[in-house]
Amino acid sequence: MLEIKDLHVNVFGKEILKGLSLTVPPGEVHAIMGPNGAGKSTTSYTLAGRAGYEVTGGEIDFYGEDVTALSPEERAAKGIFLAFQYPMEIPGVSTMNFLKTAMNAQAKLRNEPELDAAQFLRTVRAAAKELNISEDMLKRPLNVGFSGGEKKRNETLQMALLKPKLAILDEMDSGLDIDALKLVAEGVNKLRAPDRSFLVITHYQRLLDYIVPDVIHILAGGKIVMSGDKSLALQLEENGYDAVINKAA
Amino acid sequence: MAKVVSLDNLLASVAARRSEAAPWLGALIDAASEKFAHVGLPNRRVEAWRYSDLAKALHETVKVEADLDTPPVLAEACVAAFENGVLNDTKSSYCAMGAQSLRKVLAEKDSPVAGIIGRVNPQADHPIINLNTALMEEGLVLQVPKGVTLATPLHLRFNWSGVDAASADGRHLRILVVLEEGAEATLFESHDGAPSFATVVTELSLAPNSKLTHVRLENFAAAARQTAATVGAIGEKAAYRGFYFSQGGHFARHEALLKLAGEEADARIDAAYMVADKRHCDNTTVMDHAVPNTTSTQVFRGVLAGSSRGVYQGCVKVAQAAQKTDARQLSRAMLLSHRAEIVTKPELEIFADDVKCSHGATAGELDANALFFLRARGIPEAEARAMLVEAFLIEAMDTVENEAMREIVIACAHNWMLRHAGEASHVE
Ligand SMILES: Nc1ncnc2c1ncn2[C@@H]1O[C@H](COP(=O)(O)OP(=O)(O)O)[C@@H](O)[C@H]1O
Ligand SMILES: [Mg+2]
Repeated sequence: MLEIKDLHVNVFGKEILKGLSLTVPPGEVHAIMGPNGAGKSTTSYTLAGRAGYEVTGGEIDFYGEDVTALSPEERAAKGIFLAFQYPMEIPGVSTMNFLKTAMNAQAKLRNEPELDAAQFLRTVRAAAKELNISEDMLKRPLNVGFSGGEKKRNETLQMALLKPKLAILDEMDSGLDIDALKLVAEGVNKLRAPDRSFLVITHYQRLLDYIVPDVIHILAGGKIVMSGDKSLALQLEENGYDAVINKAA
Repeated sequence: MAKVVSLDNLLASVAARRSEAAPWLGALIDAASEKFAHVGLPNRRVEAWRYSDLAKALHETVKVEADLDTPPVLAEACVAAFENGVLNDTKSSYCAMGAQSLRKVLAEKDSPVAGIIGRVNPQADHPIINLNTALMEEGLVLQVPKGVTLATPLHLRFNWSGVDAASADGRHLRILVVLEEGAEATLFESHDGAPSFATVVTELSLAPNSKLTHVRLENFAAAARQTAATVGAIGEKAAYRGFYFSQGGHFARHEALLKLAGEEADARIDAAYMVADKRHCDNTTVMDHAVPNTTSTQVFRGVLAGSSRGVYQGCVKVAQAAQKTDARQLSRAMLLSHRAEIVTKPELEIFADDVKCSHGATAGELDANALFFLRARGIPEAEARAMLVEAFLIEAMDTVENEAMREIVIACAHNWMLRHAGEASHVE
């Protein structure tokens, strides 16, 4: 259960989030939609604990605990996962080695046993196959030379392996053609579970045809200005952000 | 109390050596010592030593601490073990590959090295090479006959443990490796501990079609003061493959002075240096393209933490006749602290017109975006930093073809990161 209460966030001294409140119960899929510059990525980075995103007010409660003072790795270990809008390319770190390090690090932070080499390989191969990720991609340096679709599938693979309680998908659809989008959405849908919630962040309604949300929130000017069911997305599609937001105000 | 290394002490030692030397060696000593006396121990007023003031470093007091590292053990190698600058035969096995103690070779009246040593790629005005020539005592000579490939590497293992009693004039070690036509060999050079002052000169004579692989590892303790030079001449179609790893020291300098002396000669150096605390690490190279159609490549990667200082001076010389030279150099540095410093000085002296010469230098910090990405996946900060540092260096380390050596190099880098990568996790 994620409860964001009256969150204020400064980025480089400028207030970007101005009293954002939001609750995502376990098992639900919530979407945050909003125009460019509304603060969507700011929300996702703040939840993940990125340096430079200074919380000046409010709190982020995750299963009853305020996580605003925790490091990114501690939040990850608690089950918060951010699928990046622009996944980093990291030359010199193989995808396989990265996955292993991440899985073992989280196991360690949670006081769980690490996977042995054989278990790890089996788990990764099975998950990769489902997402149509080749053995070759796993051997390559992390995201280096990957297409947009490959990067997003790789993010989905990480999510599948790390089994978060909350997955934040920041513009999962950006840079994807329709086939790639379907593949990624399918991967995400398979991960839906009663104890896992999703925060799907997007500018366009298109993604929500494939990942169908329980609730849609509209973010504008650093706040949630409106929440509703999935029909809200259609309204936005038809009338545009300005009309819908003005009506709400 | 150790005596300070001074010009007077050094010249007195030279005079003593001169009086005992065989005539051929005496002539060599005279020429070298005359030049050395003229310049003395190089200080910052000598252009090539501007960023590495040896005279000053030798006057500073150093705190000798126990060295955490033990010298690497390379399985299946012939070893020449130098303990505190003295070749220890009971710990060595170099005879098996036909190498000889320099001390013995120098004592001979008609020494087989008489026409070779000091003449492979002469550096008449180099203060330290002259000093080394004038005072060389210990070392090793390896000659690989025509067409022979040495199956096992030669491990030159320099270890400085305990207090070095010879500090009045330092220790001056000399290695001579001669590869005859078509010969192939691998040199593995390791430096551990803390010499109070050492010079090491390695002369490499590569005849046509020969190939030398040279892996050097400087794992000094913090108090080490050493200046070393690899001086080589590479003949027609011969190849030099160098990999250098260094952690620096109180004063640690290595120069690669290579002459591409025959057509299609090729030199390649990949280097990784990791320097922390107040250490100093100087990498200086001179690639001297003397004839047409030769190639040289050098890629230096450094990671600097604490208030360390790295120096990279890369000089490429292309003689007028040396058309079609292809010379590349690249220096990349990663600064883990705001107090660390990298000095990069590329120099091009090109007298031919049809050449390809490139040089590039970058200096930057650890990528904050990449660091956040790794941490967001649950990888703790220190470990994430270590991963990114290793990723930065791995390309260099991967060039070490011999698996056992590559593992040793990677382990050295890993140990360094365990000690220092996390230390940079707070903003300095
Ligand atoms: N690193 C930054 N430096 C300065 N301003 C930033 C930075 N990142 C975001 N902003 C500003 O914060 C606001 C919200 O940005 P962002 O959260 O990326 O919006 P969205 O993801 O909804 O398009 C924008 O006005 C943007 O200009
Ligand atoms: Mg965004």
